[in-house]
Amino acid sequence: MAIRQIRVIGDEILTKACKPVKEMNERTEELIEDMFETMYENNGCGLAAPQVGIRKRIVVIDVDDGNQYVMINPEILETSGSQTGAEGCLSVPGKNGQVTRAEHVKAKALNENMEEYTIEADGLLARCILHECDHLDGILYVERVEGELHDNDEEGEE
Amino acid sequence: MTMTKTDPREITLDILLEVLEEGRLGHLVLNQALLKYQYLEKQDRSFITKLTEGTLERLILLDAALDRFSKTKTEKMKPMIRTILRMSAYQILFMDRVPDAAVCNEAVKLAKKRKFQGLSGFVNGVLRTLSREKGKLEFTDPSVRFSIPGWMLSMWESDYGKEKAEQIAASFLKERPLTVRFNTSRASVEEILKSLESQGIAAEPTGFLDTVYSISGYDHLEAVEAFYEGLMTVQDPSSALAAHLAGIKAGDTVLDICSAPGGKTLHAADLLKGTGRVEARDLTEYKISLVEQNLFRCGFANVETKVWDARIFDPEMEEKADVVLADLPCSGLGIIGKKPDIKLRLKKEDLGELASLQREILSAASRYVKPGGTLLYSTCTVDRAENEENAAWILENLPFHKKDITGRLPGSLQADCRENQIQLLPGIHGCDGFFLAAFEKNRE
Repeated sequence: MAIRQIRVIGDEILTKACKPVKEMNERTEELIEDMFETMYENNGCGLAAPQVGIRKRIVVIDVDDGNQYVMINPEILETSGSQTGAEGCLSVPGKNGQVTRAEHVKAKALNENMEEYTIEADGLLARCILHECDHLDGILYVERVEGELHDNDEEGEE
Repeated sequence: MTMTKTDPREITLDILLEVLEEGRLGHLVLNQALLKYQYLEKQDRSFITKLTEGTLERLILLDAALDRFSKTKTEKMKPMIRTILRMSAYQILFMDRVPDAAVCNEAVKLAKKRKFQGLSGFVNGVLRTLSREKGKLEFTDPSVRFSIPGWMLSMWESDYGKEKAEQIAASFLKERPLTVRFNTSRASVEEILKSLESQGIAAEPTGFLDTVYSISGYDHLEAVEAFYEGLMTVQDPSSALAAHLAGIKAGDTVLDICSAPGGKTLHAADLLKGTGRVEARDLTEYKISLVEQNLFRCGFANVETKVWDARIFDPEMEEKADVVLADLPCSGLGIIGKKPDIKLRLKKEDLGELASLQREILSAASRYVKPGGTLLYSTCTVDRAENEENAAWILENLPFHKKDITGRLPGSLQADCRENQIQLLPGIHGCDGFFLAAFEKNRE
């Protein structure tokens, strides 16, 4: 297990669409472990594989709801409602901005055992799923931001 | 994606790290955090408060429990790991509504998140064993059972006997309702009670002064009309006795030398009903700002404030005061129930130093009292050196004689009064641990 280097805005890999995962193997298992570790290390609540330089459709999420979500080859099935709020990204360090996203999301994905599941999410989890799935298509939140990007308040980051 | 921190356990972890590992004051750090995370749901805020205060309150017991199931003793652990274990042990042992499995999972996640991936298995192991074995956990040592340093318990045992010492220690672990004193120069007791009732707040008499009530059923104090209108002040029933026992009369000049946050100053101003003058002093701008906030809320015009170090004699006030309120910095053993980190911070050696600091301040304070005027010495502690011995020292070294307070005390306390002084004991008198002694200055 290791903490991987996070690619930041300007790195081309963040603008490319990622490839579906065909099978689970040791390297991918290790990647998922590393992605969690890297995310926790940097106080993130979600991380997509391209952010650590891997063009695969893999997302890990932990929004402190008691679950650690692994989403492989995720697909958004339905969205409804809307929420506007501050969002940040480990690939855009030190910044945040207002983004409007769906309030409610239904998605399907494979878990770390390559078993399909569907998930219905609201609020923060919904926002995070949408944000991370954007990464898999080469989209950063800065393309969706309303108004300016703001500097993070030093204190809140620690 | 990133977001600002909202996990109440992680917020609590940071509060406890500051208090336990960096020695900052518990109530200050907690209040700062609650202010910073104002946007959190009410239930998260009360969880943070309960977990912070509970962990501090039961720390000695929590450490003893963890040490039973961990080869590495808490004092040898890494601060981060020890803090995660302590707060998790509190949830397992004292917060029934949180399932133990969830506590373990959250602790493991916190350990990983805080870069102790390698120790997350250890955290999990210790907590799961604690959860499994908690039914059999028993401690014979009263210091562990009441989670109080052994030296405090032995000191009270030798002063008051074993039974009372344990009653005192046990009282700190009980929840007590908030008590408030009504500003009766602003509105009558009946009017204030009616205002509270209209907001669904229950008020019970405390059996001390008839202007002091305990209240329950409010969300937060700032939303209580009688509070923001300045008709009441948060004050323990014991502390409200200070200005009362001093015998303040209309037109008096009252000097409150260590006034923050202003409970006794406000009481004195209320008793003066707009006449006379109160001067409220304290050591720092910050402390004086606390007094001023309270003054502003209650709208008393007959009060002035001044930043002044009470150890230094101020010739301008020499023999100017009818009443000097000297509620001095002390070891705070009487308010451990409210500030549990006192019992973790204070050392036995500190008591002697505090007693001599108090004598230094009393020497200066005594000179402000007019001949025939009153010096009211009080502390919120239960320690003979700071209390009874200092009261005796005043009589021996300063030009004062005893001022009998028995008749002014509520009936239930009169039996425990010793002419000019009374030591109130938590768990026995139903208030904070508090000492009051009144003296009258000799006329030449």
